[in-house]
Amino acid sequence: MSATPREASPIRAFVAQIWGSIFRHGLPTTDKVAARTALTNFFLHIHPVRVKKSAIRVSYTLCLGGLSFFLFILLTITGLFLMFYYIPSIDQAYQNIKDLQFVATFGLVIRNMHRWAAHGMVITVWLHMARVFYQGAYKPPREFNWAIGTLLLLTTLLLSFSGYLLPWDQLAVWAITVGTNMAKYAPLVGPYTRYLLLGGRTVAQGALIRFYVLHVIALPLIGFLLMVVHFWRVRKDGFTGGL
Amino acid sequence: MALNPYDTPRGRLRARAEATRRQFLLLMGGLASLGAVIFGGFESVKFLFPAATTEAPLKFKTDFTFTDLTGGVAGGKAKAGAQVRSITADRVTVVLDDAGIYAVFLVCTHLGCTPNYVTDVVSGSGVDPAVAEARGMRAGAEKIPNGWACPCHGSRYFIDSTNFYGPAPRPMDWVDIAVAPDGYFVIDRGNIVAYRQAGDTTAPAWRLLVDTQKNNGKTLGV
Repeated sequence: MSATPREASPIRAFVAQIWGSIFRHGLPTTDKVAARTALTNFFLHIHPVRVKKSAIRVSYTLCLGGLSFFLFILLTITGLFLMFYYIPSIDQAYQNIKDLQFVATFGLVIRNMHRWAAHGMVITVWLHMARVFYQGAYKPPREFNWAIGTLLLLTTLLLSFSGYLLPWDQLAVWAITVGTNMAKYAPLVGPYTRYLLLGGRTVAQGALIRFYVLHVIALPLIGFLLMVVHFWRVRKDGFTGGL
Repeated sequence: MALNPYDTPRGRLRARAEATRRQFLLLMGGLASLGAVIFGGFESVKFLFPAATTEAPLKFKTDFTFTDLTGGVAGGKAKAGAQVRSITADRVTVVLDDAGIYAVFLVCTHLGCTPNYVTDVVSGSGVDPAVAEARGMRAGAEKIPNGWACPCHGSRYFIDSTNFYGPAPRPMDWVDIAVAPDGYFVIDRGNIVAYRQAGDTTAPAWRLLVDTQKNNGKTLGV
């Protein structure tokens, strides 16, 4: 009685085909396979095939851009959960937040994760910019990426500012009152900018829905697009001086 | 032998005319598209500036009457002592003093927060309480240095809305107040009756007179 060779099992062949259709290579055993694995994987292809050991001294520069991106992903996920409970209406918004905290399981944790990650992202983005500046990493050929980075900083700050209004508590309303009145001081376009942001003259329903749309759709999309370009340029310009 | 119809003197001329014609059409089409984008874009911005909003109207009626504030009128004077009534939701305060009634639009001139009514407005500001008292135009026991303090950045105003402390650049505005036939006040926040620039500490003389229930028309800076 001869045993069927393992390769001949139709189920194994079927599974192998599926597996093989997703993962085109086995675990990297040689440099060549490792290179091919990175190049043919969507999630890995942003990585260089080879990196100098000195370039990934995490303890030196802390990979602040990577930390910012990590926090952005965390904010996207926790923000998605918050959206299940939050209604951008001035009559309901504050109560929704309370419900989320005290009625929904882990609601308090998710909300606080979102809040602290937001604070954290503002901090890490600033520090990332400082690191790039002090290391002179804005110099050619990376000047375009520095420009993209400043836009990302602005996007981060606008995300933080727009999210501030959404709980619709006293702090939120008056912070946005103050913030939009600052915008009003800009020459010529100031009053129009304020009206554009608030959808009216006071911080009311119009302002809440505008800030909500900006916070959950418009600004994250802009940020995402800028990040794609930012990472692509990091990849192309190389990172020899640490991440 | 197939001849290229353009490879003749006449054909070359025709080809050049054809190219010029295409360039011309391309230019015209390009200009038309550019114009459409510019004008269309300009018009599209209006989408974000709606013709009407759901905000509360600038003109509103108070939830207290003329009699509630004055305690009635006797001998051309209010029976009640000087008093202040704030309508927090509509950000207006109505003040009754010896000269009459006026309404202050409580929007801090610094960055737009709502100042609160306080009874010790000069405390810690280095301003003599007597200065604040004089602003009140009140008699006897009502003479306390009261005014407005902004919770956001600490600006302070005398009771007549003149700023004297903190980052506020100018006094808060007074708005029109009138008595409706049913005895309630009608306040129009869109109608400013006393507007003062930075540094102008003149006490506005505008009042809704208690005896006639009409204003004296003494507007300031408008």
